[in-house]
Amino acid sequence: MRMLLRRLGVYAFTAWVTITVNFILPHLMPGDPIQQLIAKLTGRVTPEEIRAIKEQFGAGLDQPLYLQYLHYWGHLLQGQLGTSISLSAPVAQVLGSQIWWTIGLIGIAAVLSFVIGTFLGVVFGWTRGSRFDSVIPLATFLQSVPYYFLGTILIMAFAVHFHFFPLQNAYDQYLSPGFNTTYIWSLFRHSQLPILSIVLSSLAGWMLGMRNMMITTVAEDFVLMAVAKGLPRRRVIFHAARNAILPSVANFALAIGLLVSGSLLVEQIFNYPGVGNLLVQAVGNEDYPLLQGIFLLITFTVLGANFLADLLYYLLDPRTRTATAH
Amino acid sequence: MTEQTNILEVKDFSVNYGYGEASVRAVSDVSFTLGTSRVLGVAGESGSGKSTLVYGLTRLLRAPGVISSGDVILNIPGPDGVRSFDMLAATEEEIRSVRWTNISIVLQSALSALNPLRRIGREFDEVFRTHDKSLSKDDRKARAIELLAMVGLDANRLDRFPHELSGGQRQRVMIAMALALRPELVIMDEPTTALDVVTQREIVSELYELRKQLGFAMIFITHDLSLLVELADEIMVMYAGHIVERAVATELYNAPRHPYTLGLMNSFPPLHGQREVMTGIPGSPPDLKALPTGCTFSPRCPYAMDICREKVPPQLPLDNGTRLVACWLHEPSVGAAVPVELSKKFVSNAGGAQ
Repeated sequence: MRMLLRRLGVYAFTAWVTITVNFILPHLMPGDPIQQLIAKLTGRVTPEEIRAIKEQFGAGLDQPLYLQYLHYWGHLLQGQLGTSISLSAPVAQVLGSQIWWTIGLIGIAAVLSFVIGTFLGVVFGWTRGSRFDSVIPLATFLQSVPYYFLGTILIMAFAVHFHFFPLQNAYDQYLSPGFNTTYIWSLFRHSQLPILSIVLSSLAGWMLGMRNMMITTVAEDFVLMAVAKGLPRRRVIFHAARNAILPSVANFALAIGLLVSGSLLVEQIFNYPGVGNLLVQAVGNEDYPLLQGIFLLITFTVLGANFLADLLYYLLDPRTRTATAH
Repeated sequence: MTEQTNILEVKDFSVNYGYGEASVRAVSDVSFTLGTSRVLGVAGESGSGKSTLVYGLTRLLRAPGVISSGDVILNIPGPDGVRSFDMLAATEEEIRSVRWTNISIVLQSALSALNPLRRIGREFDEVFRTHDKSLSKDDRKARAIELLAMVGLDANRLDRFPHELSGGQRQRVMIAMALALRPELVIMDEPTTALDVVTQREIVSELYELRKQLGFAMIFITHDLSLLVELADEIMVMYAGHIVERAVATELYNAPRHPYTLGLMNSFPPLHGQREVMTGIPGSPPDLKALPTGCTFSPRCPYAMDICREKVPPQLPLDNGTRLVACWLHEPSVGAAVPVELSKKFVSNAGGAQ
């Protein structure tokens, strides 16, 4: 338990550093980007929004830096991330609506590829040395193909050429979102190719990792003992797999942290809504408040995922629990 | 019954590592029988094939180990008489039925032999659940507590993880687990090698008591001959996959007849008696890929003769057939003068002053 609290402390510190850097960065940029931004926007946004922007950056309030910093914190704690310039809406609200697309698409794909990849890894690890080993070169190939390339090829082949899948967007643009079968079916159809592309490109990694761990674990004495005890084969495999899966689980938790930043390519290639798409827009529009909000979100998912990985390891491996008891 | 029943009968048993040209013979034409409730000690250096032998017999060999020849018969006593079980002909599923129920095994390192993620209790539970479906959860737990008590461990150890126990406690857990289903044969693969000397002694005397109480047969592998003489009825010394000497434990210990056995004994301090200088065996165990012609021990043997480097010695019955020795020194037709320390009358210093 003490170990977890200590880890939590480390994360809290990291979060504080990130938030502070996020605050200071615009102040450090040459030529005062904030003033430039405001000048550029004058006339396009209401004076109230300009005031909100200034407040968000802590600039223009003629206050000493530490007070601005405190203001910034105050807003942050109230969940106010400022106002997006390009979308004229609160950043928190924009992120709150867009993140579900990312979680839905990338999240499901990540879980699918982890589950399938790990399962295949267990099977291929157990049957090492058999003809199943011929899948390894294929897996290595899939793993080394860059995602954007794979995604583009899939679109060209299955959406443009064969029309198996819709080309882009999260749902048919003629439909209005609602809780009805047509819309849900459309959502489902549109998600298939992006999910397939993610699973294809990340499956091999989980599979190879699990297979390698499995091969190492199968050579352990306790697996030999499981055989000697006369356990049925699937119990023996379970003994090995339960131990071999530990690094994979931790890696999966870390992979969740990269979910938001990893969504960038997918959402671009499939023109799918989500945080990744939002990030590209924000860069294009020099939408600093939105960018800052997305950076914070990315930082926090990475930190959260790291903590989750620690927590999972703590729960799954009794040895980590007593390591600090001494 | 005039004839003692044998729990295990092994004939011309050989194990190779790898196939074809690149294969290496790790166990060569080993034959022996093990009587019910008897203890057979197997001694030899690392790489002598002693562990490979028992893993082969129990069909636990890992790739690239291959059983190349032999017969292994397990005679399982039952309510309707003894059932002969062919270990090598049996399918995996058939083998599973004798595993742990009739043959169990204890490995050298108890830390790696216990699943690090499981509490001790769960490992016991699994054994009972697999082999005796009639036991209730409480019965299984009661049996596990009973077994732990047998090896002097408290019931609260059931809730512990392996890393929370000491080396000696872990090995006791393994021994208790090996006895869980009251098997007729327990194989101990260097169970005390990883332990300190004091714990070694405790465990050996506990094993001695347990065996008196439960009467299981045992194959005990070690490189420590002095340990074997206390436990074993018979000792088999292996070198480069061959049995070089086999005899009644005390006789082998008191009067070794093979130069390798003598060397092995001089490598360990006696448990009783004075301190003396350890001589050991010069050289190192042979490379199984490039075995010398003739007797495999000849390059390291201080008594080696010309014939030893040319022809493989046969297993010669000595001492009225109670002992087998594979050494040309004892073949009358060779006419070699048997060195005094390898002759019958000689009482070895190492086993001496008791």
